[in-house]
Amino acid sequence: MVDDFYTIYTNRHRLAEGWKNQGKKIFGYYCSYTPEEIISAAGIIPVRIRGSSDNVELADTHLPTFCCGFVRTSLDQALKGKYHYLDGVVFPKSCDMTRVLPSIWRLNIQLPYMYYIPVPGKRTDEAVEFLIQELDLFKKSIEDFTGQKISEEALKAAIRIYNEHRSLVAQIYKLALNDNPPLSGVEMFGIIMSSLIMPKEQHTIMLKELLNTIPAKIHAADGKVRLMLAGNTFENIGVVQAIEESGGQIVIDDLDMGTRHYDTLVDETVEPIRALAERYLNRVPCPCKHPTNARMDHILKLAEDYRVKGVILLNQKYCDTHLYDRPWIEHTLKEHDIPILFVEHSDIGWAGGKFKTMVQAFMEMIG
Amino acid sequence: MEDKPKSPEEQKKPPRLNSAAALGPLNEIYYRDLATAKQQGKPVIWVTSMSPIELVYAFDGIPFFPENYSALCSSRKVSVDFVEAGESLGYSAGICSYALNTFGFIHLNKSAFGEMAPPPPPPDVLLATEGACMTHPKWWEALQRHYNCPLVIVDAAYIVDSNHLTDHQKNYMANELENAAYEIAEYTDKKFDLDKLKEVVALSDRCSELWDDIDEMRAAVPTPISQIDVFTLQFPLVTLKGTKQAVEFYEPLYAEVKQRVDNHVGFLENERFRLMWDLFPVFHNLKLLNYFAQYDATFVADLYGNAFSGRLDASDPFGSLSARYQSFFMRSASWGKSEIYKDRARRYKVDGMVFHANRCCRCFSAEQPELAHILKEDLGIPSMRFEADMVDPRAYDDAQVKAQIEAFMEMLEAIKYPK
Repeated sequence: MVDDFYTIYTNRHRLAEGWKNQGKKIFGYYCSYTPEEIISAAGIIPVRIRGSSDNVELADTHLPTFCCGFVRTSLDQALKGKYHYLDGVVFPKSCDMTRVLPSIWRLNIQLPYMYYIPVPGKRTDEAVEFLIQELDLFKKSIEDFTGQKISEEALKAAIRIYNEHRSLVAQIYKLALNDNPPLSGVEMFGIIMSSLIMPKEQHTIMLKELLNTIPAKIHAADGKVRLMLAGNTFENIGVVQAIEESGGQIVIDDLDMGTRHYDTLVDETVEPIRALAERYLNRVPCPCKHPTNARMDHILKLAEDYRVKGVILLNQKYCDTHLYDRPWIEHTLKEHDIPILFVEHSDIGWAGGKFKTMVQAFMEMIG
Repeated sequence: MEDKPKSPEEQKKPPRLNSAAALGPLNEIYYRDLATAKQQGKPVIWVTSMSPIELVYAFDGIPFFPENYSALCSSRKVSVDFVEAGESLGYSAGICSYALNTFGFIHLNKSAFGEMAPPPPPPDVLLATEGACMTHPKWWEALQRHYNCPLVIVDAAYIVDSNHLTDHQKNYMANELENAAYEIAEYTDKKFDLDKLKEVVALSDRCSELWDDIDEMRAAVPTPISQIDVFTLQFPLVTLKGTKQAVEFYEPLYAEVKQRVDNHVGFLENERFRLMWDLFPVFHNLKLLNYFAQYDATFVADLYGNAFSGRLDASDPFGSLSARYQSFFMRSASWGKSEIYKDRARRYKVDGMVFHANRCCRCFSAEQPELAHILKEDLGIPSMRFEADMVDPRAYDDAQVKAQIEAFMEMLEAIKYPK
């Protein structure tokens, strides 16, 4: 059962083609600041644009090689036609690259719908009011595209679906609070990755089934060192495998595709667009948002709650916003006596052997 | 193609602009004021390149630009030590070399001028906007952690089409700017004086107007000034915009450039190729720009100088500052940006485009391949693109770049002057 999740992720494009053949509309989106609920309320399936471990073949004529592996490989996948089933693509403002990509998509991967959401950089009351107006515009643009109004009921229903899913993901994460977590980090990775590319209603059913079957499962983590994987994003499951083959177990993460994506529920008692604006600005911030302290608090709290023995901070090369925070994170964790291993990596030309050696040395140090 | 290149860039003696002589003293006064700000009771406010220094001058403060200072370090050949020191603190080699250089000179407590001048004074307030790149707020957060001083970040609505700003987008940043004024007042223990800001804004507007007028004159054939002139003469535009000194500097400069244009005096005696430059100077090797002179080629337009100018309305300081930052062309997506490039290329009669792919500035270099494609498709203008780093000479291969230039100029020769 648990292996199904990663299989689904690796078959993501075939799966999406199936939905497409059933007459569904599909939007791709970059980054966890996209309010998927609005897309879903319009009856459109939002799927997260991801990178790839494949070689870059087409993107290099459009983007310099000194851009991050995620941006280059995701664009390359799109240029190769892997996302041919998309009806639209949505870019929320996060890092500088999410400002560059819309141009390249618009010029080279023409889709019927494209939208850029100027998510504010700050987390103030004014920023919430600003985002409310922007989300109204976003909603209207989707209505113009489909020719159908998104009703308040539909939005509320989508919010309920997403909240339920977030709560279930939180339950799955909490399983690792046990001394012997029933799921390995590799299994967790499959669950999280599949959640990003599936309709949430379907993923919710799978998560419920999983939660019902888990007690029967043999404990996976005997004698392994509890670790947190922090950073931005990566594509290669080999990252987690290498860590777990070296005697570690990822029990919790601070990743853009993990806890930072799923943190914080939308308030169902508030007017939906306002509730969404508040949720997306009040969630644990990525380093693109100011101030960033809440993310540090998040890391420290998770490290304590999940009793981790160390943190592996994995950042994509050329991911500026994350790299500026690295010395601060290293310094703060050391102050809290939490060992940290920083690894700058790339989805392109993944150096698995070198990474494993670094992890093994780290495990010896903390083990 | 002529038999032989005439002379390497080192031997080329460009005509001097008399009014540029005032630049040295202006520089000296600025750095002296900066060094003595604390004694004078003036707040030192560290600003990002896209920060509203009009606010700083409205508080009678001194803006300090780590970016300009890092450029200075690079041109004075001290940036490698600083960048390496920045890296030693855990900052990755790929990030903005302005930032690495800054972390480095702070860590080493050294100046761009060696023993001749003290390092820059620490900030009383840090002021950054989201007007240009994400590096700015991230870098300023790091500076705040180091100096433990107040940080003011002005947020802006990033949109991909800056020609279509809505009212709420304009108002959001205008409100942020106004809040920033009151925050600076609180942190510096000074009263915010709106009338003073309006005076500063009027001076800033005049400075930008003069700059834009000088820049427009570069469209003349032959073009009157060089790209090195532009990169060096923009110091007051960047640093002193909003002061009388900046206006007093550009007025005679404008007259002198106009005189050149009226008399058909060009930077080159025999201007055969007109080029456009994108974007950052290579500060450790500015003279590379004159290397093109041996092919009788010169830069008649660029996309960097104007980034620092922008007309303002003294009756609406916050609204017009907001409009200036948010309509900053580099913030647009390439379909909007390319219109600006194309417009410049046409008006300045550009034959070829040179892109400096600035390795550490992904934000402003990433769209160059797309822009090059659009210029070629729509206007038939060819381009070359070379990799370097604005501050760090280690990422620059002089021989390779010059070979690229040679090949590019041969191609332009064949296109413009077919045999």
